[in-house]
Amino acid sequence: MGMTDAWLLPVLPAGAFAVLVLFGPYLPRRGDWLAIAAIFASFVLTFPIIADLTSALAEHGEEFVGAANSIPWLEVPGNLELRLGVHVDAITVVMLVVGSFVALMVQVYSLSYMRGDSRYGWYYAAMSLFAASMLALVLADNFLLLYFAWELVGLCSYLLIGHYSHLRSAAEAAKKAFITTRLGDVGLLIAIILLWRDTGTFGIQEVIAAAQAGEIRTEVLTASVVLLLLGAMGKSAQFPFHVWLPDAMEGPTPVSALIHAATMVVAGVYLVARTLPLFELVAGGPELVLAIGLFTAFLSAFLGLVMTDIKRVIAYSTINSLGLMFVALGVGAPAAAMLYLFTHAFFKALLFLGAGSVIHATERQDVNQLGGLWSKMPLTGVTFAVGAFSMAGLPFLAGFWAKDEILVGALENRVAFSFLLLSLPVTAMYMTRLFILTFLGQAREPEVAKHAHDAPLAMSVPLALLALLTLVTGLVVFDQVGRALGFPGGIGELIFLGEPEVFHFDTGVAAASSELVALGIIAGWFAWAVRPELPQRAAQAFRPIHAMLVNKYYLDDFYQAIIDRVVLAGSRVLAWFDRNVVNDTGVDGSALTTGFMGYLLKFQQTGKLPNYALAMVIGVVALALVAFTLKT
Amino acid sequence: MEAVAQQIPLEHFLVLSAILFSLGVYGVLTRRNAVLILMSVELMLNAASINMVAFAAYAAPERAVVIGIVFAVFIITVAAAEVGLALAIILRVFRNRGTANVDEVDQLKW
Repeated sequence: MGMTDAWLLPVLPAGAFAVLVLFGPYLPRRGDWLAIAAIFASFVLTFPIIADLTSALAEHGEEFVGAANSIPWLEVPGNLELRLGVHVDAITVVMLVVGSFVALMVQVYSLSYMRGDSRYGWYYAAMSLFAASMLALVLADNFLLLYFAWELVGLCSYLLIGHYSHLRSAAEAAKKAFITTRLGDVGLLIAIILLWRDTGTFGIQEVIAAAQAGEIRTEVLTASVVLLLLGAMGKSAQFPFHVWLPDAMEGPTPVSALIHAATMVVAGVYLVARTLPLFELVAGGPELVLAIGLFTAFLSAFLGLVMTDIKRVIAYSTINSLGLMFVALGVGAPAAAMLYLFTHAFFKALLFLGAGSVIHATERQDVNQLGGLWSKMPLTGVTFAVGAFSMAGLPFLAGFWAKDEILVGALENRVAFSFLLLSLPVTAMYMTRLFILTFLGQAREPEVAKHAHDAPLAMSVPLALLALLTLVTGLVVFDQVGRALGFPGGIGELIFLGEPEVFHFDTGVAAASSELVALGIIAGWFAWAVRPELPQRAAQAFRPIHAMLVNKYYLDDFYQAIIDRVVLAGSRVLAWFDRNVVNDTGVDGSALTTGFMGYLLKFQQTGKLPNYALAMVIGVVALALVAFTLKT
Repeated sequence: MEAVAQQIPLEHFLVLSAILFSLGVYGVLTRRNAVLILMSVELMLNAASINMVAFAAYAAPERAVVIGIVFAVFIITVAAAEVGLALAIILRVFRNRGTANVDEVDQLKW
């Protein structure tokens, strides 16, 4: 079992999906054990791959670019050869570990969370399909397979957001997520075609090599990089495509934890990290990524302050984190982005699963109806606190190390750095707010809080494991930890060999960020725990700003207006054209004309024998005349 | 046969045949009784038969003689069958509608 056998990883859950779809209803427990066994096998199989990778790294050192294994798929002699294959290097391995582990945790968690659901078997089938397509996405060695998997994860996201399809809001949210990401996906597809036209290959490594050798025309490269970024922005919920992610919270909470926090939404980050050499070849490419990430991170941070739905707050914090990852990519620190992705997957999945535990126990998800759950649900409370403060960036939790790495990377860029510093206390503040409103203070609905209790084992174990990982994963940045795990130099050097971005801890930056985070937490504590009337007073005082935040910068209304005014108006014109021209004139018109002609002609048939006989005689005579004329 | 060919030219047979045929057509177009129409049709068929036999007699003796006569025999056979069929139809129509006048049998239309 080496790196070249990595294709097994997506194949196992895909097989589980096939079995569940075909025979699910006949299996005991609807086959949930099969889905979990498949993803567990995939997770276990990542370890030999890591071992193989580290030994290859030790052998080849910096020249190692990854192991590939592909089979011919489709061949048009002369101009087109499509291959199907996997490519394994350090980025892939990070994504594999994250994807398979979080998927495993979430599926175990779902055993209890989804119990009694009317579509329990289908839920596990879709989860398996998602795991398979996500693993295929990160393993793909060519853009076509990547695009295929990219669309599959989008499809699974759609299916799982709309899991409670009897709710209109869930169906609408699923549609919104699918269509919004589609907008970006079209860009990705065009970019892939453009790159293929100039290089004649779909292979990711080959395209990068060709671009670096200058074989792609500058304007084509620029266009494809921008379109590629568009695809990444759609998937990773970057401004202005971020609107789908908060709505995607209509899905079951474990789905949010897996798809909309840990794996699918970071596919955009992964894509940009994978093709970063292309971005660096284009003037302004990294700056564009940086600007988008910064804008997204900064805007979403404030929304977390006013949202009252527990899952929506976490969703905005996810957008915030995704923005941070784009910033890291933009400043040329992909290792920092991947590190953040790695740790973010654990603490954000933890937050979502914690929120799921709260929702499971109380059947409420508005923080105004929660509160006072700390003593009732100690395990959930503790693990949620770990996740929340990791997200806030409290020192020595996973989020702290990763976020500091991004800050250090952005140190050169004063504007980006100051904006990042500004967003830190805001992030800390809304995570504190969320924690306080959910777990501390008086229960706002005592009847609900009285019956709340900690989750059963299947839900507690993933929570505890993820909390443990959130406590320790940040440490992989250190050389000593890395060496113990088999990659000397820590994860930074593992991900990008030979790049100058091995982990560098800057005490000054860490002190500054810790102070800001502490400031945010204290401010949050003061505002929502000590003087709970303060936020209301602030909302009253700055009513326009508060209204703007509650309405999400009016972006949803703006999009709705555009859809109403432009899309629907255009559709109405087309509908009129279709109704009147195509349907009434074209289709019905030709039928009516034929019918009317038939009506006129039917009177030719008199039913009288002599008329027919006369017609025959005249016909024969006419034919004879014609024949004679032509002959002479 | 050759004697006939020497005494009467071919044109006479053709003219006779044309006259018979025209009479048949006239009968078919003007008569209203189905039986009479049938008789006119027989006239037309016989005109065609005369043509066949005449051409057979005047054509090159070594190849066409028999073919034309065989055609005439076939026409007579087919005509006999046709008359049998047509008279049966007319009989049914008469039984059903009490008339053999074709003007009154005009149901087969729109």
